[in-house]
Amino acid sequence: MLDRVIFGDNQFFGINHMSEAKAQSLDERFRNLNAITDVIDIAYECGIRGFMLNTNDRSIEICDYLRKNSSRYPDLAMYPSMPYAHKYAAAVAEKGIFGALKDSILAGSSAAEIGKMVAKGGRSLFEQDMIKVMQLMIDVEMKMFRGLNVKVVFLQNIVTDLLLGYGVKDIFIGFAEYIRERYKAEPGFTTMNMPMTVEFLLDCGIENPVVCSSINKAGYFMNPSMKAYEKAIKDKKFRPIAMSILASGAVPAPEAVEYICKQPQIESIVFGASSRGHIAETKNLIDNYSQ
Amino acid sequence: MIRVGFVGFGRMGITHFSILNCHPDVRIVAVCDQSKMLLNVLKKRVDVAVYTDMSQMFEEANLDLVIISTPTSSHSEIVQLAIASNCHIFVEKPFSLTPAQGEQALSLLDGQQLVNQVGYVNRFNEVFVEVKRLITQGVIGDIQTFNSEMYGATVLKDAKSGWRGTTNLGGGCMYEFASHCIDLVVYLIGSPDKVVGSVMQSIFSAGVEDLVTSTFVYDNGCSGTISVNWSDETFRKPANIFTIIGSKGKIIADKHEYKIYLKQEDISNNYQKGWNTRYITEFSKPVRFYVRGNEFTSQLDNVIDCIKNKRIENVCDFSEAIKTDRIMADIRQDAVRALQEPDDGALNSPLLAKTGKKLSLWEKLRKFGERKNA
Repeated sequence: MLDRVIFGDNQFFGINHMSEAKAQSLDERFRNLNAITDVIDIAYECGIRGFMLNTNDRSIEICDYLRKNSSRYPDLAMYPSMPYAHKYAAAVAEKGIFGALKDSILAGSSAAEIGKMVAKGGRSLFEQDMIKVMQLMIDVEMKMFRGLNVKVVFLQNIVTDLLLGYGVKDIFIGFAEYIRERYKAEPGFTTMNMPMTVEFLLDCGIENPVVCSSINKAGYFMNPSMKAYEKAIKDKKFRPIAMSILASGAVPAPEAVEYICKQPQIESIVFGASSRGHIAETKNLIDNYSQ
Repeated sequence: MIRVGFVGFGRMGITHFSILNCHPDVRIVAVCDQSKMLLNVLKKRVDVAVYTDMSQMFEEANLDLVIISTPTSSHSEIVQLAIASNCHIFVEKPFSLTPAQGEQALSLLDGQQLVNQVGYVNRFNEVFVEVKRLITQGVIGDIQTFNSEMYGATVLKDAKSGWRGTTNLGGGCMYEFASHCIDLVVYLIGSPDKVVGSVMQSIFSAGVEDLVTSTFVYDNGCSGTISVNWSDETFRKPANIFTIIGSKGKIIADKHEYKIYLKQEDISNNYQKGWNTRYITEFSKPVRFYVRGNEFTSQLDNVIDCIKNKRIENVCDFSEAIKTDRIMADIRQDAVRALQEPDDGALNSPLLAKTGKKLSLWEKLRKFGERKNA
């Protein structure tokens, strides 16, 4: 069972899709780990047990904190999202695609793995076995979640959608199989093109996939159309998770939650907030409308 | 079906491929790049012919459209090959390394019925499109002054090797960053009649500028500034900020929102007197397929649309993009003049001293002079 409510983390990392000024002020507020853990505490007190966490330098600290204080959060469920796209984009700009892949894998792998890679012929590994390379990258990013209860591992939308455009099935299948086998968790896919992603994942033979996408009454970030989203939710066999339900503030919370809860197929809602008032209000709204 | 080929398969080429590959009217048939390894990875998974020799690709692949995402120094040659092959063209920004190269390519286009577009993606950003509409409608009156800014954390140490750290390959803050910032000026305000007070400054890079500032002057009395810095670590993503002051009001716009201040209420546009804020969530429309932002899809879909409807005129065609190349050359020459050096061509890099280094500006100037005399 997925958690009905999953607490999002964009606000902690200075991400706001609507306003660069708001993004900057969030970044300022959450500079200290304490400010982040205070908000996590509030969410937990409000009854939220699912927490999404994008992999980045800050999330390593957050995971360390959660592990050290595990007795305070006995039912905590983590929903990691990867890869750390900005880090790779910067590394690719500097060192090229293969340089960046090599560096990131070398930095996070054990000596035995590196030995195997070298034996297999270093660079040519990328050509021969992209799936193995992907597995090594997943291991690097999953390291920070060791010892925590992980329910779903999400592939970030920037990667899901880029690969979706290429239609490369083996990478999606490889990701799903590896997350299930190695981490005993569900593979999840975040996307800005939900109907197309769902169709593709079902084509890949990934049954009842967990797919996270913007779903809101404003139609914001719903490509190619809101109608196509509603139809996919109704007709396709998958496990929808809704994010951006407030459309960055364009939809009032009660309307936003009502719109989601009218579609009973939607299993979970991801939302992020920074104040006790907003967190409690949204959680209560979801609880009430979900009954 | 429109047959598409790619030259250059780096970060932008990879993105463009994804966006076009699932367009219902497109079939991607060929990719050309220098990296055989990358081509092998691609070939294994996607049904395309791969080439390391672009002439061979143009000869064999029977392309309708080519997407060029190579370093700027090679654009001119590839564009000429594409025109000779009667191929529609989308080329990444900036269009050409020097105006002369661009003019040459442009002259070959004369009389050809070829769609041509340059990747100035901000022209497809929904906020900037809206700002353009407001200016054209005269909502803020006659433009008096503006400030076009672009900041990012792209270069935080010296890029020692590769094309990014080399001016005559198309590296540097001018070509990569300022080109966007200047193109927005061309799009929203128009080309200046004169550029003055230009500075190109190094912050981290040894071989190229990391910061560009300049003042644009117009014969009609309007003036504006550009301020570009790709070594500003406070920006998570590259950001454009455009401020325009007119006789009736003011607009401050970025990629996500704009604020408009009006001296009088504007009923037809639903603005009150004073400040009004509009977020992109209010007027953004979905796209067929989203990868990096609506504008990346919209710009390529515009190319396909132009080809399908045999429409040659284009919001971002070569003749429009070459205006930015000319302005970049003018800024370079103005920056040389500012350092009192004789101006001997468009590719000088008159860098101010690296900040934080012990060399004073005058020492740097002297060294610069010595280097030129040698």
